[in-house]
Amino acid sequence: MGDLQTAALALAGSQQAPDWLASVRQRGAQRFAATPWPNRRTEQWKYTPLSALSGKSVQLPEPSGYKVPEADLIDVDAYRLVFINGVYSPDQSDSLPPEVASFSGVNDDQVALLQNHLGRLADSSAHLFAALGEATSAEGLVVHVKAGQSLDKPVYVVNYSVGEQSFLASTRVLVVLEAGAEAEVVEQFLSATDDQANLVTAHTEIVLGDNARVKHYRLNLEHEGITHAGGVFVELGRDAHFDGFAIAKGAELIRNDYLLIHRGSGAHVELNGVYMPRGRQVVDYHTNVQHRVPHCTSNEVFRGIIGDRAKAVFNGRIHIFADAQKTLAELSNKNLLTSNRAEIDTKPELEIYADDVKCAHGATVAQLDDEAIYYLQTRGIDKERAQVMMSFGFINELISNIQNEAVMNYLLPVLAKQFGRENDLLQLEADTLDAL
Amino acid sequence: MLSINNLCASVEDKQILKGLGLDVKPGEVHAIMGPNGAGKSTLGSVLAGREAFEVTEGSAQFDGENLLEMDVEERARAGLFLAFQYPVEIPGVSNMEFLKASVDAVRTHQGKPELSSVEFMKLARETSKKVKLDQGFLKRGVNEGFSGGEKKRNEIMQMMLLEPKLCILDETDSGLDIDALQTVADGVNAMRSPERSFIVVTHYQRLLDYIVPDYVHVLADGKIVKSGDKSLAKELEAKGYGWLEGEVA
Amino acid sequence: MSEQVEHLIRKEYAAGFHTAIDTDTIPPGLNEDVVRFISAKKNEPEWLLEWRLQAFRAWQEMDEPEWAHVDYPKVDYQSISYFSSPKSMDDKPKSLDEVDPKLLETYEKLGIPLHEQEMLAGVAMDVVFDSVSVVTTFREKLEEAGVLFCSISEAVEKYPELVKKHLGSVVPQKDNYFAALNSAVFSDGSFVYIPKGVRCPMELSTYFRINEQNTGQFERTLIVAEEGAYVSYLEGCTAPMRDENQLHAAVVELVAKDNAEIKYSTVQNWYPGDEDGKGGIYNFVTKRGVCHTSAKISWTQVETGSAVTWKYPSCVLRGDNSVGEFYSVALTNNHQQADTGTKMIHIGKNTRSTIIAKGISAGKSDSSYRGLVRMNPGADGARNFTQCDSLLIGDKCGAHTFPYIESKNPSAVIEHEATTSKVSDDQMFLCQQRGLDPEKAVSMIVNGFCREVFKELPMEFAVEAGKLLEVSLEGSVG
Repeated sequence: MGDLQTAALALAGSQQAPDWLASVRQRGAQRFAATPWPNRRTEQWKYTPLSALSGKSVQLPEPSGYKVPEADLIDVDAYRLVFINGVYSPDQSDSLPPEVASFSGVNDDQVALLQNHLGRLADSSAHLFAALGEATSAEGLVVHVKAGQSLDKPVYVVNYSVGEQSFLASTRVLVVLEAGAEAEVVEQFLSATDDQANLVTAHTEIVLGDNARVKHYRLNLEHEGITHAGGVFVELGRDAHFDGFAIAKGAELIRNDYLLIHRGSGAHVELNGVYMPRGRQVVDYHTNVQHRVPHCTSNEVFRGIIGDRAKAVFNGRIHIFADAQKTLAELSNKNLLTSNRAEIDTKPELEIYADDVKCAHGATVAQLDDEAIYYLQTRGIDKERAQVMMSFGFINELISNIQNEAVMNYLLPVLAKQFGRENDLLQLEADTLDAL
Repeated sequence: MLSINNLCASVEDKQILKGLGLDVKPGEVHAIMGPNGAGKSTLGSVLAGREAFEVTEGSAQFDGENLLEMDVEERARAGLFLAFQYPVEIPGVSNMEFLKASVDAVRTHQGKPELSSVEFMKLARETSKKVKLDQGFLKRGVNEGFSGGEKKRNEIMQMMLLEPKLCILDETDSGLDIDALQTVADGVNAMRSPERSFIVVTHYQRLLDYIVPDYVHVLADGKIVKSGDKSLAKELEAKGYGWLEGEVA
Repeated sequence: MSEQVEHLIRKEYAAGFHTAIDTDTIPPGLNEDVVRFISAKKNEPEWLLEWRLQAFRAWQEMDEPEWAHVDYPKVDYQSISYFSSPKSMDDKPKSLDEVDPKLLETYEKLGIPLHEQEMLAGVAMDVVFDSVSVVTTFREKLEEAGVLFCSISEAVEKYPELVKKHLGSVVPQKDNYFAALNSAVFSDGSFVYIPKGVRCPMELSTYFRINEQNTGQFERTLIVAEEGAYVSYLEGCTAPMRDENQLHAAVVELVAKDNAEIKYSTVQNWYPGDEDGKGGIYNFVTKRGVCHTSAKISWTQVETGSAVTWKYPSCVLRGDNSVGEFYSVALTNNHQQADTGTKMIHIGKNTRSTIIAKGISAGKSDSSYRGLVRMNPGADGARNFTQCDSLLIGDKCGAHTFPYIESKNPSAVIEHEATTSKVSDDQMFLCQQRGLDPEKAVSMIVNGFCREVFKELPMEFAVEAGKLLEVSLEGSVG
């Protein structure tokens, strides 16, 4: 067992948690203890060494007076829930509609729902950090929308890491949309400073009934010091739609697992993602799309720009089960390395057990197109600037597809800062959009 | 304006230009014609400073400066504009952003202040009307998904925005229908002035009915083998390039 | 079409006969004494015995790899006999006339006539029967050109310095579980040496045959092309039909010095087991080549046989401007499983690699492409292009793609594409409407699917490969 495993289990033992979570916590603790700490031969962690993490020392968070700076928040009309180091902060949160509740405010029906679903998709026997999340689950929220209804505003979940010490911040999100229901969920992860070194485990489970639709955003915008290991686990009923967007700026380590399971025919997954670690940051996305039934579609696009001594890992699996005929599944992963010491390890996988399907994946690692840079230069733009414009353009295609305007408008300056672009250009873009 | 002497250039060790000479004075329009593979497009690329093209001999002065020593973007900022035969697509970089960055770079070089985004927007919209390019193109990626004609109009629009001293049109007419050709020619003609010069590289005489040149040169086997006035173009159309073979040798 | 799949016409494995020949086979089991016995039997020098023993000791400490997408009962390494030799080989024949007629007959049946006058023009051949090389043809002609082509045992005797210098230089003893096993007990195999600047005047070829029951075949091939040399080498394999699984754990090492080129083609048709998955060869092979400056190694393989295949012919592109290529067709039918692909390790500047892998799955089989493309920090300007296509025939099989792509160089460019498709009803309809029977139609479509790879094979092999594919597919449609 890794040092962190021992320490985390001790923390779990002394943690206060609602009674109704006891069995989930117990299961998580058992599985977390039973899972060997990954080494280089563990396929799931082949390119993402966890050795440094093993010695990390963390403590349990307590309610605190910290506030998320207003400037860091997305200007969106939504039901906002704020968690500080994984602890729910009612003061900074909005009053919630009956469909949404934090773990501290759940009713009996919601408890029953949570007990049914927690850990069902985020399988703690298969995911080390899902087990840790279960073992230390005490905080989180549930969204439950009844058949045919839709939430009038997005649910906006803010996870803020702050403080002198390093905390173990575990939160869980359960979204259950009954047949024909619709909702939008924005998960944002922030930290206060580069030094803040929380271990964040955040697992989100989304259950979509027939023809239910969800738009989901997972924005990992933490600073340098954070270790984040979590995931998004989705089950789609017949004709359900999952429309997802993921972004990771980079931190000590950001690892997100996406599991998307088609259980009803006609379901569709759209997942776009962007990562751009710099410095010595590590970002790791593992995605797994499971086509278990016929006539489903999935389309996944991830792009990364890796600079300095940073490292990115992408593992994208498409798994077509026997009988999942007439599946259409595509995956594209494109990467740009911008430094001699940057590293990308990408592994697009196909596992196919049905013959009448169309599946394709592509992965590229490339430089910026010389031809395009030359073209920009002949128009008087210097080479460096041309490279910045091109890099931004490389991911901008995905950013500009974001359907939630507030999220897009929030991300643009964040990215601009990352790429050192002038603000007037952004203004220009906004003006252009307005004017046209 | 532009003075080229004995210019020799090669690509991947293959010599394409073999001692080309050309003098362009302010306000002049020079047409360069010639058979395929003569080096017409190479000339534009060499003058614009494309990396793969290596100048092995000769000189090129632009406004009294040694053009061959300047970087690609320096040449552009100094007022040399190349309209591409095959404009490059740059997905994700919006045309608007690209154009403003380009105009700002040139203005900064000229010691003028950058345009505010509102001023620029206004200018861009007016210009796009002149070349009959739908404004929707401004927010799309550079040349991304543009048709051939749209790409060429986008080139002319850039030329108008940058107000260069010397415009090199590299087979801008190829692949255009009559309407698009007319638009391109109108754009060029509107920009003709005593201070501005043009080098029009073309395979077809047709373009020269719309953009009337002061001089016509025949480029063959890397050299200018014959020069004349616009009547030379008519002669070429009637006789083809074959009768010039003696001069090539 | 899937109904048609059920109505199979099975054609027997044509190479599945067993030849009754007196053999000298040691009892099953593996320990240091067996290693010493093999070494002694072959009159090996002390250094080679020591080398084998090192490998054996390392092997004992290693675990059998489990990461491949294959599933088979554990091999009992103590139940295998590690050496079997036709008895008449004790005094090795000097010429074909002295070869046991039964052996010759075996090869005639396989369609590999050994008599030189009947041979395909311009192909020199080394033949390995169970554990030993039985005959090498065209030797004199090759020697004139300075090309050494003989069995590896003979090379150990005659050219010990060359062998000592290169053996294990590409695939070290401890490289992996099966390579370690091979290093300990390899019995025979081929040795090729092309001197500086020499273009080998003919195709070289080795035919491998496992005949005896309960034997493993552990051949070792070493090909060295000195500066500016060129050689094209072909390898073919068959085995009798047996209910037990037989183990084949070969190692192939290629060394391409500056500006040298090695083309290595394989048509692998080991016994695949019967339609219920009984019997067949476990084909666990390590093949790797090193390219020095501006050298080129090209692997082409057509894998239709074996019950389980575990094989990744690889290129280490060490020298600047070197080139690695991998062209593969892997066809699995019935219960066959193949986990095959390549590794392209880009170390030098401007190195180039191309991977074209075609997987065809039919019956209840599983075919996986597993590949690694690695761009080291120094591989400036390196390029890789990978195309993996899978074709599924029927709905009980699986086709998988596991590409590992690692880059630590910003100027390296990697492109990977994979697609999967099936033989569509429309294609079948068109062919049938034009008068082709379904089986011919499938084989035509599959051949078309594999065309990019087949065109890399030498002519005679390309024809053979096409036919083999047809035979292997028989029964996949009705």
